[in-house]
Amino acid sequence: MYPIVLLSVLGIVVLFLGFMKSKSVLLPATLLFLVLALASNFIDWNQGKVLYFYEMLAVNNLTLAFNAIVLVSAFMIVAMTRGFQDQEEAQPAEYYGIMLFSLVGAFMIIGYEHLIMLFVGIEILSVSMYILTGSDKSNLRSNEAALKYFLMGAFATGIMLFGIALLYGATGSFNLTDIQSYVSIQGRGVSYILYAGLLLLLIGMLFKVSAAPFHFWTPDVYDGAPTIFTTFMSTIVKTAGFAAIFRLLSHSFTPIYSFWWITLAAITVLTLLVGNIIAVYQNSFKRMLAYSSISHAGYLLIAVTSLSPQTENAILFYSLAYSIATISAFGVLMLVSKKKALEGQVDESYAAFNGLAAQNPLLAFVLAVSMLSLAGIPLTAGFWGKFFVFGSAVERGLVWMLVVAVLMSAVGIYYYFRAIIAAYLKEGDIGKIRIAPFYRIILVVATAMTILFGLAPGIFEKLL
Amino acid sequence: MSASLLVLIPLLPLIGFLINGIGFRRIPRGAVGIIGSLAALGSFAVSVVVLMAFKEAGSTPQVVSLFDWISVGELSIPFSFQIDQLSLLMLMIVTGVGSLIHVYSAGYMKEDEGFGKFFAFLNLFLFFMLLLVMGSNYVIMFIGWEGVGLCSYLLIGFWNKNTDYNNAARKAFIMNRIGDLGFLLGIFTIIGTFGSVEFTEVFRQATGLPVGDPVVVVITLLLFVGATGKSAQIPLFTWLPDAMAGPTPVSALIHAATMVTAGIYMVIRSNVLFTLAPATLEVVAIIGTATALLAASIGLLQNDIKKVLAYSTVSQLGYMFLALGVMAYSASMFHVITHAFFKALLFLGAGSVIHAMSGEQDIRFMGGLRKKLPITFITFLIGTIAIAGIPPFAGFFSKDEILAHAFEHNKVLWVLGLLGSIMTSFYMFRLLFLTFFGSFRGTHEQAHHLHESPTSMTLPLIVLAVFSALGGFMGVPEVLGGTHQLATFMSPLYEGARQVNPAAFAATTLSHSEEYLLMGISVVAALVAALAAYVVYVRRDSVPAPETQERPALQRVIYHKYYIDELYDAVFVKPIRTLSALLFSFGEFFIDLVVNGTGTLVKVLSGQLRRTQTGSTGYYIFAMVVGIVLILFWNLLLR
Amino acid sequence: MSPTLSLFYFLSFLTVLSALMVVFARSPIHSVLYLILTFFCLSGHYILLNAQFLAAVNIIVYAGAIMVLFLFVIMFLNMKKEDEESKTNLTKVAAVIVAGTLGVILVGAFRKSQVGTYNPYAHDSQVGMVESLGHMLFREYLLPFELISILFLVAMTGAIMLGKREVGERHF
Repeated sequence: MYPIVLLSVLGIVVLFLGFMKSKSVLLPATLLFLVLALASNFIDWNQGKVLYFYEMLAVNNLTLAFNAIVLVSAFMIVAMTRGFQDQEEAQPAEYYGIMLFSLVGAFMIIGYEHLIMLFVGIEILSVSMYILTGSDKSNLRSNEAALKYFLMGAFATGIMLFGIALLYGATGSFNLTDIQSYVSIQGRGVSYILYAGLLLLLIGMLFKVSAAPFHFWTPDVYDGAPTIFTTFMSTIVKTAGFAAIFRLLSHSFTPIYSFWWITLAAITVLTLLVGNIIAVYQNSFKRMLAYSSISHAGYLLIAVTSLSPQTENAILFYSLAYSIATISAFGVLMLVSKKKALEGQVDESYAAFNGLAAQNPLLAFVLAVSMLSLAGIPLTAGFWGKFFVFGSAVERGLVWMLVVAVLMSAVGIYYYFRAIIAAYLKEGDIGKIRIAPFYRIILVVATAMTILFGLAPGIFEKLL
Repeated sequence: MSASLLVLIPLLPLIGFLINGIGFRRIPRGAVGIIGSLAALGSFAVSVVVLMAFKEAGSTPQVVSLFDWISVGELSIPFSFQIDQLSLLMLMIVTGVGSLIHVYSAGYMKEDEGFGKFFAFLNLFLFFMLLLVMGSNYVIMFIGWEGVGLCSYLLIGFWNKNTDYNNAARKAFIMNRIGDLGFLLGIFTIIGTFGSVEFTEVFRQATGLPVGDPVVVVITLLLFVGATGKSAQIPLFTWLPDAMAGPTPVSALIHAATMVTAGIYMVIRSNVLFTLAPATLEVVAIIGTATALLAASIGLLQNDIKKVLAYSTVSQLGYMFLALGVMAYSASMFHVITHAFFKALLFLGAGSVIHAMSGEQDIRFMGGLRKKLPITFITFLIGTIAIAGIPPFAGFFSKDEILAHAFEHNKVLWVLGLLGSIMTSFYMFRLLFLTFFGSFRGTHEQAHHLHESPTSMTLPLIVLAVFSALGGFMGVPEVLGGTHQLATFMSPLYEGARQVNPAAFAATTLSHSEEYLLMGISVVAALVAALAAYVVYVRRDSVPAPETQERPALQRVIYHKYYIDELYDAVFVKPIRTLSALLFSFGEFFIDLVVNGTGTLVKVLSGQLRRTQTGSTGYYIFAMVVGIVLILFWNLLLR
Repeated sequence: MSPTLSLFYFLSFLTVLSALMVVFARSPIHSVLYLILTFFCLSGHYILLNAQFLAAVNIIVYAGAIMVLFLFVIMFLNMKKEDEESKTNLTKVAAVIVAGTLGVILVGAFRKSQVGTYNPYAHDSQVGMVESLGHMLFREYLLPFELISILFLVAMTGAIMLGKREVGERHF
C-alpha cells in the first residue's frame, strides 16, 4: 500500500520539480523516489495477508515481490534515460512524472481486491503508455503507434468493462473474495452471465499482455514507440498484467478451473506459435523483440494455465528473468542505434550489431547474455524461468503443451542467436561507443543478475 | 576426498575460459595457448589425484554436495558432484584426451586470427563437459548437455566467414535441440514419477519397479531421443558430418572423443532404468546397428578426409549403442574409451595432414605422404589398425567384446555388426592408402610446402598412438587369459540393474571355443577387407573418380589383367558402391528433407503469418472480435 | 405491461437507435448530435434505476461539457464535408456479420441464465441521492476515488505534453 500513496505524491513532486531551472536534479530525484518506494514496499513484508482501505487492496508477500520486480525494472529503465537528456532540450519532468504515476497503476493491478481497483489501475497504466508511446512527436511512426494503441486499447477497455459489469450482475459484488465464495458455492452451476463476464474480463486483460489473437497492436506499437518506453511497456506492463491475471484466476476462479483452462490453453499455444514463428522473419531487432515479448507472454501463460502450487514462483521468477534480460537487450540497442543515428542512418535491424564485439566487448557481452537468457540457455536466469514454468505444467499434466513450448523455444534460438552472430561473428564498422557511467553500471548489474540467478536460482527462493 | 579438490576439476577450465575470454586480444599469443593448456592439464592432474584417492578409499561411490541449489515445492535439487567408477572414467577421458588436444591446438591454430577466442571456447567446452559427467543429478547433467551443445555450435561456426559453416553450426544446434526436447521431457517425467532428479534416489526407487513398467519405458525412450541427438544416431545423425566445418582439433575433441559419447554416458548412468525397459533396449540395439551400417557404408565413398572420419565416428557410436542395447554396458564404455584414443588420434593425424597440405582435405589430391610426414604416418597407421579391429590394438578388444555380446543376444545383430566392421576396415585402409601411399597427386606448390608438423602437434599424436596400441589391455577378456580389469572396475555400477534383472548380468554362456571362433572370424574379416583395400588402392593404384568425370575407373578396370579383380569389383565393390551411394543420397536426403523441411516450414509459415500484421487498425480490431466471437461461441454455446 | 416497463422499452429502443445513428450518420456533426441524444436516453435509464444524481451528472458532464468540446473541435477542424468511404463493402458486411454473431451469442447465452431478483420491500429510495453516494465514495471507495485523480492528472499532463509545440521535438 505504501508505494501507491508514496508514488502518487512523489509523482506530483516530480512534476513540480520540472519548474526548476536546472533539469539535472530530476533524474536523481526520480531514482531516489523509486528507492524510497522500494523501501516502503517492504514495510508490509511478512505480515501475512493484509487488506487496506475497506478491502480495496490486498497485500501479501507475493504482491510485494511483484511490486519489487516492477520497481527494480523501473529503476533500471529510468536510470538508462541518463545520457539521453543531456544533448537535447528536453522537458523530462513530465516523462518522469508519468512513469511514476504509471507505476501506481501497476501496483493497483498487482494487489487489487476489488475490481474497480483493477479497472482504474489498468486505465492509469494504459493511458500513461499511450502518452509515452506518442512522446516522440516529430516521428510519424511514434504518432501512428500511439493512436493505434489508444484506439485498440480503448476497445479492449470496453470489453473488459463489460466483463466486470457482467460479473457484478452475476455475483452482486466486485470483491474478489465475495466472487470466490459465490463461485465455490455454485461450482460449475454458475450462471452463463458469470461465464461470459469472466471470459470478457480475461480477454481485456490478455490484450494488455499481448496474447494472441489480441496481440496485433504489439509489434506496431513496440516498434513505433521510443525504445526506452518500449522497454518500459514490455517489462513493467507485462509483469503487472500477469500478476493481475494470475491473481484473478487463482484467487477467485479456481473452483471453475475446468471451465476456463481449455480456452486459456488454446490461447497459450496460439500465442507461442504466433510469437515465435513470426519473429523468425523479422529483420528489425526491435520488432523481433516485440514478437519475442509475445512469445514470452505465451510461456508465462503456460504457468497461469497450469495453476499449480509452483505457479506463483514460476511467474515471479520468469517475470524477473525476462525483465532483466529485456532491459539489457534494449539498453544495448538504444546505445547502438543512437550511435548509428549520429552517423546519419537510423538502424534498428540485426545488421546494426555487426562487428559490435570488436570495439565494444562489454556491450557485445551484455547483448549475448541477454539473448542467451531470453532463449533459455542453461546457466542464465532465463533457463530457470523456463524450467520452473515447464515444471508447473508437468505438475498439472499438460505435457502436450510442454512439447509445443519446447519446440517453440528451439525456434527461438534461431532468432536470438542471430543477434549474437551479428555481434561476434560478422564484420562491421561500429566505432567505440561512449557509455555514460551510470548506464554502464545498470548494464553490468543486469547482466550480473542474469548470470547470478542462472548459477544459483536458489538465491531468489531465499529472498522470498 | 575433499569437496574443494573436486571443485577444482571443472573450475580450472572455467578460469581458463574467463582469462582467455575477457582478455581476448590483450593477452599475447604465446600465453593464450599456455593458459588454455595448463587449465586442461591441471584439471587432468586433479582428476588423477581423485582417481587415486578413490581407489585408496575402497572404491565406494560418493556424492559430494556443494550447496543447496534450488527447491521448488517438494522437489529440491542440490548442486553436487557424484564420484564413482563411471564419472571417473569419463573424467579421465575428457581431461586426458582434452589436454592432449589443447596442446595440439596450440600448434595447429597458431596462425589463426581468433586464437584466444578459440582457446576460450575450448576451455568453456571442457567446463560444461565436466559438469555433464560429474553432476549427481539429471538437471546438472542437462546443463552440461546444453552447454556442450552451445560450445559445439560456437566452434563449428568458428570460421564464420563461410556461410556454409554457419549453416552447419545452426543445423547441429537445432538437431541437438530436438534431441534435448526428448531429454528435457524425460527429466520432467522422472520428476513426475520419482519426485527427484538425484541419480541415487531415482535409481533406488526404480529398483522397486517391475521389469517393463510402462512409465519407465516412456522415460527411457525420451532419454534415448536425447541421446540420438547428441550422439548422432538415426535419425538425427546428419549434423555430425556437417560439423566437420569446424577446426580439426574441435572435431577430434568434441565430435569424436567426448561430446558425442555423452549419450552413451547418459544411458550407462541410467542403466537401472534401461534394464527395466527391455522394449527400449530393443529399439536402442536396432537403431545402433542400423546407424553403424548406414554410416559405414556411406563412409566407403567419401573423399574428404574428415568426412570419412566423421562417418566412421557415427558408425562407431552405433556400435556403442548396439552394446547398450544388448545390456553390455561395460563393453560399450570400453569402446567409448578406446574410440576416444584412436579416433582422436585419427582426427589429429588428419589435422596434421591438412596442415601439411595447406588446407586441402580431398584425399584424391594427396598420396605418398608417408615419406614427408613419417610421424603422422606411423601414428595414423596405428590408429587405423586399432579401429579396424586387428589385434592386439585397442579397437580389437572393445569391438570384439561388443560383437560377442551381440552374438549372445541375437545372431542377426552379430552378422550385421560383422558386416559393419568389414566396411570399417575397408574404408579406413582406403583412407590410409590413398593418403600416404602411391604418388603425390596435389599441385607443385603443395608438394613444395609439405612438411612434418611441429612438436606440439606430433607429441599428442605419439601419446595417443601409444594408448591406441596398448589401451585395449585394460579389458583383456578371460578367454585370452586376462581378467578384464575394466569390467571388474565398473561392475559396482550395475548393482541396481542386477537386482531388477539378474539374468542379464550372468556370466557368459559362450564356450571358449565359440569365443575363439568369433574372434577369429572378425579378425580374418578385417584383414581381408584391409587386403582388398590394399589391392584396389595400392597395387592397382586406382583413385576415386573426380567429381567432374562420371566413371573413368571403369576403363582402368578393363585394362587390368587380374580377372579376379574384375570379379571382385563386380561382385563386391560395385554393389556396395551403388548401395552406399544410394544410402547416402537417400538417407541423407530424406533426413535432411525432414529436418530442413521443418525449418523451411517455419520460415514459410512465418512469412505467411507475418502478413496478418497489415498495419490497419480496423483489420486488427476485426481480427480481435473474430477471436472474441470464437471464444464466446465455443464456451457459451457449444459446451 | 406496467408504465415503467413500457417506458423502459421505449427508452431502450431510442438509445439503441440513436447509438446506431451515431455510427451511420455521414456528417460528424450529426454524429455528435446523435451522441447527445444517446446520453439523454442513458440519463433516462439512470432515473429509472433510481440514480437521480448520476442522471444529472451524466447530462451536465457528458451531454453538456464534453459534447460541446467535441463540436468545437469538429468545427475548428472544418470536418463538415462528408468523408468519402474508406471501407469496402466486403469489410462492412464482414463486420456486420461478426458483430451480429457476437450479439446473437450473448443473447443466446443470457437467455439460458438466471438473472438475480430483488426484494422490493428492502428497497431504499434514497440510494441514488447525493448523500448516500457521498458516503459511499468517501468511505468504501476512498482509495479508487482518489486514485482516479491520478488518472486524470496523467491524462492532462499527457494532453499538454503532446499538444505543446516546440522545437527539437524528440525527448528521448
